[in-house]
Amino acid sequence: MKTLLSYLGNLKEYLIFSALILISLILIFQNDNVQIRFIRVIAVNVIGVVQSGFSIIPNVFELERENKTLRETNINLSNELSLLKEAKLENMRINQMLEFRQRTNYAVVTGKIVGKSLIQTRNNITINIGENDSVKIGMPVITDKGLVGKIVATSASYSIAQILLNKDLKVSAKDQRSRVDGIISWDGEGKIRMKNVSKSSDVIIGDIIITSEYSNSFPAGIPIGYVTTDGTLDNLFKNIELECFVNFQTLEEVFVLKYLSDDDRKNLEKKFNEKSK
Amino acid sequence: MIEYLKYAGIMFALIIMQKTFIELIDVTDYNITPDIVLIGVVYIGIKRGKITGSVGGFISGLVIDIFSFSFLGLMALSKSIAGFLSGFFHNQTKMERYLGSYAFILIVSFCSLVNNFIYYLIYFQGSNLQFADILLRYVIPTTVYTALFSIFPVLFSKRRRFSR
Repeated sequence: MKTLLSYLGNLKEYLIFSALILISLILIFQNDNVQIRFIRVIAVNVIGVVQSGFSIIPNVFELERENKTLRETNINLSNELSLLKEAKLENMRINQMLEFRQRTNYAVVTGKIVGKSLIQTRNNITINIGENDSVKIGMPVITDKGLVGKIVATSASYSIAQILLNKDLKVSAKDQRSRVDGIISWDGEGKIRMKNVSKSSDVIIGDIIITSEYSNSFPAGIPIGYVTTDGTLDNLFKNIELECFVNFQTLEEVFVLKYLSDDDRKNLEKKFNEKSK
Repeated sequence: MIEYLKYAGIMFALIIMQKTFIELIDVTDYNITPDIVLIGVVYIGIKRGKITGSVGGFISGLVIDIFSFSFLGLMALSKSIAGFLSGFFHNQTKMERYLGSYAFILIVSFCSLVNNFIYYLIYFQGSNLQFADILLRYVIPTTVYTALFSIFPVLFSKRRRFSR
């Protein structure tokens, strides 16, 4: 204790001097003039430089907190991004449909697919438009790419359509280039075929197949698909396989064409067929 | 105690002179005047040591600050440091030599340089003056002028010694 006091006694001069300097500095910093403001700026800069030097040393707790916040932000941003991507894709699809709607000569109703089966032999889609939207049985269902199928059942707000991947749907079609006729149907095993095409017919791989004017259900000229296999079925007919323009796996929106077959024509054909029998 | 009162009286007289008479003998375009208060502070520092020097410097500086109505504490800071430095020359055996010879002028020059350096460097912060301008226009001229005025106490001390 004695040594400490003696040591402090030796430092007396410096302690008093330090106290005087401190008082002077306190008085100086009480001023609010340009010089002091400038010195304060310098002091803040110096402290900033020192702090930035110390910031190299990582603060584990701070890092953990920051990491957690960043993870949360990342999840929120990911959600937002996926929503935006979805909106962008929807926008693109709707734009394409809008263009098609303006191109087509028939009145159309736009519908969203709310149910779909693609693994059975008789596949259908359920659309969120029905009789309230003037949808009737027999109306063709299409997209801007091509033919999808036709309406087979309706309710007030929904309707069911047979699609090309349904064994019961037969479509009268023709080769767009050579005008060779045939019947499009699904074999139930994954292939859409064009039947009743004679062996000598001019159909080659890559030809586009469209709906024919002989069809009583669909207006002529709707694209269906293109020829992928041009082989021989037997001595009389060709084995023609098609790839549809419409991708049923990714199909989300469709148009229902307000087109119904001509009843007069239908009755005449029916009467004639009965007479022939 | 009486000695301290004597010092206080001398310092007060010097402050009055500094703020009145000395202002009339300014030189250069920048109104440079000798710092006779500093000469007094250095004298006390050499005579009584670091504590008296720094306390004397602080009080006299503070009084000048109060009289000048600007930048309270700045003159107190610079004068405290100058007084403290002058206390390093406090030595009973060499005191007469320091106070009565031209060594005093050198000590005053050194303390004045430190005092002016601190004072003007802080005083001109935030102005457009460069460091070299502050040094050449204010610090060095004031130091030289103060050093010149420190001849008078030396002469006075010599005459007193001679008369003794």
